[in-house]
Amino acid sequence: MMRYEVPQLETDRLILRAHRESDIASEIEFFQTDPSKMVGGPKAADDVWRYISMMMGHWALRGYGLWALEEKATGTYVGRAGLWMPLGYDEPEIGWTLMNHATGKGYATEAAQTARAYAYDVLGWDTAVSLTLPENTASQAVAKRLGASLERTFESKYGPAQIWRHPSPSDLENGGMEAYA
Amino acid sequence: MSLTLNIPVIETERLRLRAHREGDLDVIAAFFADDRSAFVGGPKNRAESWRVISGALGHWALRGYGMWLVADKTTDAPIGGVGFLNPEGWDEAELGWHMFNGHEGKGYAYEATVAAKSYGATHFGIPAPISYIAPANTRSVALAKRLGATYERDGEVLGNACHIYRHSKAEAA
Repeated sequence: MMRYEVPQLETDRLILRAHRESDIASEIEFFQTDPSKMVGGPKAADDVWRYISMMMGHWALRGYGLWALEEKATGTYVGRAGLWMPLGYDEPEIGWTLMNHATGKGYATEAAQTARAYAYDVLGWDTAVSLTLPENTASQAVAKRLGASLERTFESKYGPAQIWRHPSPSDLENGGMEAYA
Repeated sequence: MSLTLNIPVIETERLRLRAHREGDLDVIAAFFADDRSAFVGGPKNRAESWRVISGALGHWALRGYGMWLVADKTTDAPIGGVGFLNPEGWDEAELGWHMFNGHEGKGYAYEATVAAKSYGATHFGIPAPISYIAPANTRSVALAKRLGATYERDGEVLGNACHIYRHSKAEAA
């Protein structure tokens, strides 16, 4: 029997949990809109379903993955964030994507900060990157708030993409999040 | 509360139905590199084949059932896939199967599918699944008939015209 586990985490305003089938409707809607172009969209409904199922399977294969983000106050699905390393990636990524109704509230920063702490403290990573498209200024702002700095641009399957390097665990110990506020 | 997922193992006379593993990737990527995989969404490259494995595992989390990797019971080497599929775009749960290159013609698909069908009736509440079969896939048509399935209607899945076969109601074991 194969067992795999998706741990549940909490931040001030969010629950980080495993995806459920009922989250997929929001993702299907999101992937029909223009903002999804920043994260590989648009995608057809069946592709979105497979994408979310693939995210769940990533947990089984890697022991970590992307969490579904649920707004504590309302129980609403607001997006996903977590740790991502499908085959073909050079190194593991901290990623985040919010549904359109949930942007501008600091949720991505809040969730990614918790995901990064999990990567460093629980999984023992000693570094991490985040990838964004050059035109995705909202995502770059999150990377900056997290203390990451632009390392280089490379040619991804979606065109040029930026690699943002996060502060290392020791950088964070020395500076703390206050240093980046 | 954390999610813990268990994917069951079924053993038959010659086969083990188990969860996919990353170590199955070489065989699965070779299968998806071949045009034969067109019947199951191929061809795909190696990175896409990895996503097939992770997608198969995630299907279990989202639906509570899914596809097993069919392995040789003695060596645990991957032979094919069998199980229940019901992603977005499907009418209902499908009993599906495919054998990897070099493993056809030995009755493995039949042996695996009989076991999966029985397990689905008992544990997943799927007594009489459908199978989507491309009419040109004569090998699968023959197996569906051997399993006791009958042609029900013309259908379509993900924009591809196909025949829908209905399996006879399996007794829950």
